[in-house]
Amino acid sequence: MTTSESPVGTGAHVQARELCRRFGDHDALDRVSLEIARGETFGLLGANGAGKTTFIRLCTGYLVPTSGSLRVDGISPAEYPRGVQARLGYVTETSRLYPDLRVQGFLRFAGGARGLHGPALDEAVEGALDRFDLAGVARRLVGNLSKGYQQRVSLAQAFLHDPALVIVDEPTSGLDPLQQGDVREILAELQGQRTVILCTHDLAEARALTSRVAVLSHGRLLRTGPTEEILGEGDPLDLFRRAVSEDALHGDRT
Amino acid sequence: MTRFLALLRKELAALFLSPIAYGVLTMVALVTALVFFEHLSLYNKILFLFQTTTMGGFESDTIPNHINLRDTVFNPVMDQLSLLLVIPIPLVTMRVFAEERARGTEETLVTTGLSITQIVAAKFAVTFGFALLMMMVSFVYPVTAIAQGGLGAQHLVAVFLGLTLLAIGIASIGLACSAFTTSQIVAAAAAVALAFLFYDFGWTHAFVSEDFAAFLDAISLRPHFRRFAEGLVFVSDIGFFAALAVVAFVLCRFALNLRRVVG
Repeated sequence: MTTSESPVGTGAHVQARELCRRFGDHDALDRVSLEIARGETFGLLGANGAGKTTFIRLCTGYLVPTSGSLRVDGISPAEYPRGVQARLGYVTETSRLYPDLRVQGFLRFAGGARGLHGPALDEAVEGALDRFDLAGVARRLVGNLSKGYQQRVSLAQAFLHDPALVIVDEPTSGLDPLQQGDVREILAELQGQRTVILCTHDLAEARALTSRVAVLSHGRLLRTGPTEEILGEGDPLDLFRRAVSEDALHGDRT
Repeated sequence: MTRFLALLRKELAALFLSPIAYGVLTMVALVTALVFFEHLSLYNKILFLFQTTTMGGFESDTIPNHINLRDTVFNPVMDQLSLLLVIPIPLVTMRVFAEERARGTEETLVTTGLSITQIVAAKFAVTFGFALLMMMVSFVYPVTAIAQGGLGAQHLVAVFLGLTLLAIGIASIGLACSAFTTSQIVAAAAAVALAFLFYDFGWTHAFVSEDFAAFLDAISLRPHFRRFAEGLVFVSDIGFFAALAVVAFVLCRFALNLRRVVG
């Protein structure tokens, strides 16, 4: 599928309004409002603990918000998690795969869990093995693969049901430079084909892969806008430094 | 159904890829065999003594009625096996939910579009299936020998049903413990402690009122199993173990749903 054939439609694919999530007395997300358009590759940036993972867990329905509203494809993940999950693919960290299963077995499970069966499941698994260059390791245990291949497995399981929205959490974390390049290449191919939320603290990765970004710090949305505008000026690392200092001006939130 | 079957296959693979399952099966089969042959040996010695000497006023050819395969071998073995189950079953159930949560695979599982009910049901089905397999393995020796002792097929079926339900009851306790922690050790220790506690409250009868003792008996595992061991099948006993499984199922669902709220 090319960009011209992309499923970009009207309206926001993901829409958050005053979204809050508290863990005890800690605000993991504090009144975050943002919209992610259909077909765009959107970056969620922030240092560790900024609230990126909490935001995507709310999108997948794994967590429910404390207050505010969130709609994915017009559906509330808190109220109808299965409805949202049927429409999205979630690329988790590699440690969240099943190490005792073989690659093919894991993909068959992931496809079956999403309702694929019979020839459709065979086709989806074979397609994913080819697309993500996993055919050579199909019979190997997931736990015995390198981190780079494990990340490919994680990507492959997220695309089995051809979702319109893909959420990718720290895709290159812990990978060596060659493996990072491979994974970025795969993600670059997705641009324009479907909506992608890329959660990362790697600014170079965000610059290379996303069209718009949001910067989170201590649970608050500090900036949102086109990637070039947000990351284009000065030393990219200053972004995080500025974010933290600006956040400090708004109040103490340890 | 497709989703549930996919999950069921994954759970079966996870169970039988774990060395613990094989270790537990082997341990239960070995210990049952040892206990069984110990009792059989004792029975043979008693028979030998009665047939060769005069004991307690009995003549050599007048063996008391209670010295028989059923009362001297089968029933004591089944009683000991029922207590033995308290240890190995929590070793199998400890990983079922706790491991998923500790590894972070619970997030993968929950976000694939499977409902919490399907996830819990698949885990319960596979664990209960394993309990059934464990009972079949441990039942081989006693059944082979008791077939000679004229216990009766109906009695055997009742005992087997009782043991399997007891194993399911203990597994239910273990699964509920596993759902509320990330530590497999904590899950196993809590399940063993609870299963021992609820195994038999008979020791409290001397300290509590008659009514309360009856209540404690009603919530104990052993009194319900004991009637099966005597060859008696009551709907109330089946209902007790079924209720235990339902309560554990609801608790596991609650634990998984709770994580969406508390994180």
